[in-house]
Amino acid sequence: MATTLQFALPSIAGRRRRPDSRSIIRPVRCAADRQALFNRIAPVYDNLNDLFSLGRHRVWKRMTVSWSGVKEGDTVLDVCCGSGDLAFLLSEKVGISGKVIALDFSREQLQIAASRQSERSKACYKNIEWIEGDAVNLPFSKSSFDAATIGYGLRNIVDRRKAMEEMYKVLKPGSKVSILDFNKSTSSLNSSIQDWMIDYIVVPIASGYGLANEYHYLKNSIKEYLTGNELEMLAGEVGFSEAKFYEIGAGFMGNLVATR
Amino acid sequence: MVRRSGVLLKSAATGISSRLAEILVCPLTKQPLRMCEKTNSLISDSIGVSYPIVEWIPRLVPSDGIILQSDQDLNSSDSPQTNSS
Repeated sequence: MATTLQFALPSIAGRRRRPDSRSIIRPVRCAADRQALFNRIAPVYDNLNDLFSLGRHRVWKRMTVSWSGVKEGDTVLDVCCGSGDLAFLLSEKVGISGKVIALDFSREQLQIAASRQSERSKACYKNIEWIEGDAVNLPFSKSSFDAATIGYGLRNIVDRRKAMEEMYKVLKPGSKVSILDFNKSTSSLNSSIQDWMIDYIVVPIASGYGLANEYHYLKNSIKEYLTGNELEMLAGEVGFSEAKFYEIGAGFMGNLVATR
Repeated sequence: MVRRSGVLLKSAATGISSRLAEILVCPLTKQPLRMCEKTNSLISDSIGVSYPIVEWIPRLVPSDGIILQSDQDLNSSDSPQTNSS
């Protein structure tokens, strides 16, 4: 199995501040720090995703889209859309009669996403609308969407319960949210391998881009994330009628599917 | 929901499609927004806040909101009309 390292950096609400120094490793705790982090890595985010996952992130994202149950003509939401990978996949599914609303907190990531959209020729991509917004304060009416996705975003949201509650509200009854992220494994072997790959592959390569600190954040964010069982429980507590977590990517990645 | 005057629902200036306009609300109050074409922004009348649209991307993070200071700001040149939704 290919190395399963993927970067999802945070898109979260908060104040707009730039860090004072990039040479000091500081905890990336608050939403504003995480937003700034994603703004900084935006120019190389896509390339590093490909590099670290050896392209496998594309497969996982297709699985996420498939699990969302999206179909032609739907109006769908992608939260923490970043540079738009999931939005483009959703767009192909909903077609020209559908609509994709893609939201992110990082202005720089959205600019890249919009540029990618303008460079692509498929007519369906015109149905994507980009929104600069906050995952914990979604600017959408209740029961607006036929499906929703988040790719490598929930782990980076400070108030994950609030984000889940927001997604629950904006989904139509019976619709699904499909949430892809690193798997916080209960297997000590998996966790150890994950840690090793981040320390000895990810961070050294990221340092070549001047982003060692940004990717060092990744390891702690996985440790602070929820396990598959915990994600299922959170979805149930928020009100989702069903929730199922699937381990993929040799157990290094996971996808929660929750039904409203 | 975005209320707007009887002009084309998507223009080069505003870039808000009709479908998007139907579902957008104020991120804080979840109340309908009013499109102000003069300032190219979305107005949350309930709290007197304006959210800008920049290069066709609405900025609807709460911290992006601009507090409207005066009655003149609140009563923009666009006359709000409710959509038939």
